[in-house]
Amino acid sequence: MSAITVPRPGAPVLAPRWFALRAFANEAGQGLRLLWRHRAITITALVSQGLMYLAIQFFIGGGHLLPPVLALTLPGLFAVTIAYTTSIQGAGEIAEEVNGGTLEQAHLSPARPSVLVAGRLAALAVEGLIPAAVLAVAFGFGYGPHWVIGPGALVPLTLTVLDALGYALLMTALVLRIPSIGAVVHVFNMAIIFFGGMLIPITLFPHGIEIFARFLPTALGVEVLNTTLAGRGLGAAWSDGTLSWLLAHVVVLGGLAWATYLHTLRRARREGGPSPR
Amino acid sequence: MTRFLGAVGNEIGKGLRFAWSERLQIAMEVPFFTVFILLLGPLLGAGHQITAGHLNWTLNSQRISLLVVAFVPFGFFYMQAVKLFWRLLSEIQTGTIEQVYLSPLPSWLVAAAGRVVAALIETFVLMGITYGLTSAFVTLHFHWTVAVLLPVTFLIVTGTGYSLIIAGMTLLWKRIQLLQETILLLVMVFAFTALPVFTVPGWFAGLGRVLPLTSSVTSLYGAMLGHRGVTGAWGTGGLVWVAVTAAAYLAAGILTFRALEHLTKVRGTLGSY
Repeated sequence: MSAITVPRPGAPVLAPRWFALRAFANEAGQGLRLLWRHRAITITALVSQGLMYLAIQFFIGGGHLLPPVLALTLPGLFAVTIAYTTSIQGAGEIAEEVNGGTLEQAHLSPARPSVLVAGRLAALAVEGLIPAAVLAVAFGFGYGPHWVIGPGALVPLTLTVLDALGYALLMTALVLRIPSIGAVVHVFNMAIIFFGGMLIPITLFPHGIEIFARFLPTALGVEVLNTTLAGRGLGAAWSDGTLSWLLAHVVVLGGLAWATYLHTLRRARREGGPSPR
Repeated sequence: MTRFLGAVGNEIGKGLRFAWSERLQIAMEVPFFTVFILLLGPLLGAGHQITAGHLNWTLNSQRISLLVVAFVPFGFFYMQAVKLFWRLLSEIQTGTIEQVYLSPLPSWLVAAAGRVVAALIETFVLMGITYGLTSAFVTLHFHWTVAVLLPVTFLIVTGTGYSLIIAGMTLLWKRIQLLQETILLLVMVFAFTALPVFTVPGWFAGLGRVLPLTSSVTSLYGAMLGHRGVTGAWGTGGLVWVAVTAAAYLAAGILTFRALEHLTKVRGTLGSY
């Protein structure tokens, strides 16, 4: 089937840039409307995530909550929540579109796939940032960790969010290739929960595991965030190499995810993959 | 009766074919679960070491054995609930869910029957390999007895009921992937409250007691590590509490599934959004 867009006589013709912006806003708006419609489920998941973190802290503290451990692991909770939420929602949403046949409809649009995916990512970012921020603020105010909060912390914070979004996009892309993606995302997410700095700082893992953990999404971001919140500044993170590795990780993961998404989508369109398998 | 058995057999066959199609994912899970169990042992109760900036990673045989007892039941819950959810969601989205109602079986049985057998086989394979890999690093000490089949049976019943609750919610609300993931992780984390590694606050233990895995894990711990029988009546891992938990979850599962299914049909949204 092919579709040709026929301009209606007298219809206003949008400039390409404005058209792309509108397509982006439509995609982002659709994600945000769905988030609002399912707000009760989002809130319940948020409470469950908070309880899970609390339970893990009890186990690590031997039945007690230890504020110094909370201070070290709260940045991990923030990062894990974004990665976890965006990957599950991203994969779930595109699986729904593939199975329902609406992914094909979206790509009948004359907008480039990269514009549509950018809109999808913007909505996912909001979906991930809201629970992450709520949990970080709630635990932060509740237990008052001794952090040195300065503008320098915004750099690893932004890079961590971008890293999490890259991971979410990669998982979203893989939906088009792997039918059992739901369970695969579950395994990757458990790895991020365990090795991503939410349980303990990754520097405390045995050396080999620490190196492995640094390859996982958000782990390096949490490490640099911990450095800045401990008051050692970005210079310390740069000199020990973690900040530069974080930058490289964000660029490589983001690039890989973007290329994988566009490639799998092109392949799926060629082979009829956007339809139910 | 023959038709009934044929329909159940078909569902089981379908569940097993789904399981086989997910072998790549199972291959990914095995090493991860092993590493998870091995590394979690030294973390429990290590808060002060973490604060001091140094953690002793010595593998303690007794503690790892404890974690295996809690983790294997979670493996079944995971296989049952997560996969049932994604499979059901896929049927809803593609529209094949309505075919379920052409079957002579009750819809809740069609949803859960095939999945239980496939989940049991997957759990057996996955946890068998995980057990083998874990015991290559640390000696696991268990008291193997046929009595453990009793809590295991209750665990399967509880898991089936739990998965039916998730299935009912999936029919009505569809997009609950985040919710079912976080609740399952919560169930796993609270199952560890059954292990006598440390004391937790009363409210915390109380919450753990009503969650589906905790009582079965306590009973399994008693039989395999605590040198107790499984027929003691009282307490969290007592036969009464384990049986009540299983019966309550199965009943709640069937009722919730049927109620939410009815609501979905009334709204006309069984196969659409």
